[in-house]
Amino acid sequence: MFLSDFRKDFFDVIVNQRVALLVASDIDALCACKILQALFHCDHVQYTLIPVSGWQDLETAFLEHKEQFKYFVLINCGANVDLLETLQPEDDSIFFICDTHRPVDVINVYNDSQIKLLIKQDDDLGVPSYDDIFRDDEDDDEEGNEDDSGNESDDGQEPSGKRRKFEGEAVERRIERRRERREWEARRKEILFDYEQYEYHGTSSAIIMFELAWVMSKDSKDMLWWAIVGLTDQWVQDKITNIKYVTDVATLQRHVSRHSHSNEDEENLLSIDCLRISFEFDLRLALYQHWSLYESICNSSYTSSYFKIWSIHGQKKLQEFLADMGLPLKQVKQKFNSMDISIKENLREVIEESSNKFGMKDIRIQTFSVHFGFKNKFLAADIVYAAGALLENTEKEDSKTDNFIKALDCLSRSNLDKLHDGIEKAKKKLIAIQQTVASCICTNLIISQGPFLYCYLMEGSPDVKMFSRPMSLSLLSKCLLKAFICSTKNKRCRLLPLIMAAPLDLEKGTVIVVGIPPESESSDKKNFFGRAFEKAAESTSSRTLHDHFDMSIIELKTEDRSKFLDALITLLS
Amino acid sequence: MDPSEVEFLAEKEMVTIIPNFSLDKVYLIGGELGPFNPGLPVDVPLWLAINLKQRQKCRIVPPEWMDVEKLEVIREQERKEDTFTPIPSPYYMELTKLLLNHASDNIPKADEIRTLVKDTWDTRIAKLRLSADSFVSQQEVHAKLDNLTLMEINTIGTFFTDSLNNLFKIRANLQPRGESTMSQEY
Repeated sequence: MFLSDFRKDFFDVIVNQRVALLVASDIDALCACKILQALFHCDHVQYTLIPVSGWQDLETAFLEHKEQFKYFVLINCGANVDLLETLQPEDDSIFFICDTHRPVDVINVYNDSQIKLLIKQDDDLGVPSYDDIFRDDEDDDEEGNEDDSGNESDDGQEPSGKRRKFEGEAVERRIERRRERREWEARRKEILFDYEQYEYHGTSSAIIMFELAWVMSKDSKDMLWWAIVGLTDQWVQDKITNIKYVTDVATLQRHVSRHSHSNEDEENLLSIDCLRISFEFDLRLALYQHWSLYESICNSSYTSSYFKIWSIHGQKKLQEFLADMGLPLKQVKQKFNSMDISIKENLREVIEESSNKFGMKDIRIQTFSVHFGFKNKFLAADIVYAAGALLENTEKEDSKTDNFIKALDCLSRSNLDKLHDGIEKAKKKLIAIQQTVASCICTNLIISQGPFLYCYLMEGSPDVKMFSRPMSLSLLSKCLLKAFICSTKNKRCRLLPLIMAAPLDLEKGTVIVVGIPPESESSDKKNFFGRAFEKAAESTSSRTLHDHFDMSIIELKTEDRSKFLDALITLLS
Repeated sequence: MDPSEVEFLAEKEMVTIIPNFSLDKVYLIGGELGPFNPGLPVDVPLWLAINLKQRQKCRIVPPEWMDVEKLEVIREQERKEDTFTPIPSPYYMELTKLLLNHASDNIPKADEIRTLVKDTWDTRIAKLRLSADSFVSQQEVHAKLDNLTLMEINTIGTFFTDSLNNLFKIRANLQPRGESTMSQEY
């Protein structure tokens, strides 16, 4: 059921209990977890933090901890599947789910006792009404009873003519009821199919946790910053529409002005060490303040796909662009902090003007930046990239839990060295993505299969190990789709979605497959690949593992790849 | 004494806070605290104030003397005089450090206050060193220093007494050697 008063029905319930916190592995979940941890620290709530990366992890963690805990809080996992059926909990376990995955499973919505959803009810949900889906089974029994009682009461008392008439009527009624029931079931199937067909994402969990803190008057600037990072993660991974992003930015902007006006005025300046958050209308270049401007333009998917940087023509266009702005190459290739101040002053406006000339209309995006100490200034997107790189780090053989803890740590202000480490790893990741995109486009690895585009990363490609992680592979596929749309001449192909596969584990012989919706200006980011993959796997009995919380990311045995794809093509065309 | 022990003693000082929760009077071994009402200032020991601030349950009001003009006056006075001037709180250094580390958003012009207190501290420690130096070189037996705080005394306390002990041992050894040289000459 949906909770209306988060404070009364959620926080006050768990404040005196021991809680198990199950957190999914994405940045939005990490930020929500940080905010919740801070709230727990304020009120001395005992909790256990368990990172989970998929449904199997969730089940194992639940089995391990179900003896000790009665209350479970799930962040960014658990809403889109029938949780009670998957976990089989005891009757007194209570689950609080704060999840951005939609659609919310109808059983989770209509269960009143054990599942409490920390989701705002007006959040664009479209849940079918109760009567359309559930129907008491008493009607069947009544039907049976009526017939029996009808027969019994008629037994031997009435003349046979009347009895036959009674029986005739009873039979008619039964047939009528059965027909109604069949119609109702068909309608129900249709409604459920429409409801569950497309996957999308709702309001960021970090924002929901922040609003809970605000209602309790315990919100601080740190929490506000984490909420901002959570929202920016949804935007970087293309999970929400532009309109939703702008709306949520406006909500957070109100909180930012509230926090900055209450503390600072002309006479009473704040200490330089305090956290300052400010709204920025800044450039869409990844990590540009921690890199050189040239590298950032070459490695951000927006600019690199517009310029087609992988071609010689594209390089020339880039040089033209820089020359048009009057920026000398030597300056632009230097570290951003060492660029001439005269150039840095009007940089944003200059770049916006020139990019409008070259056809890039949205080079600037509404976002926030944080500033503390004398030299620490970060944009929200920088933190998202850094934490993402730490979370999916494949360089050392650390366990997933270690990476999770490192990424969680880099979000605090006191762990700046981890944050800088994350930024360096993020730079490597972005460069790897661009190189892979360039090689895929130049070697025409993207094939149109009819209803969708398909690309497979060969085993020997450089950095292929990095793309065995779901988030990195999704980011790569989005960049690849953007680049493909800019480079292909086939108008029809531009409207197709993309399926990307990369080798996951060479010993077990599995690949990881990701499906993303087609790219368009006003796309609603709804992804139908989740259900499509399920159906295709069923029909070909391929060995698949639908382990990830996003239904559109699955693991597949390499041998079953071709028949799986054929099934998909037939299904979708 | 360890500096952390001195800080522990300093945490008994009372500061004013403005809580955002309500609680009846609390009876502790050292005395009673409260009652706490949201929005009404109440005096509590520093250790409780810092704990409540970390749990975001209160706002700390800076002590009266933690003000830029007052600290400037004190600093100038300290620089003019040769002896130690009286200072507003016997634990000024610890209070400044704890309050500025945990509650700098409640204290206006926190950076300037930090600099002023550090300047005053440096001047006083310099005077202390000078006085210790003259004590040793002029082999004085008795010295009286007013207006020193426990933290300042603690910076040279152990070292000073240990080195004076060693000096005494060395000087005591000088006497008999004088006699033995005479016997050798003989």
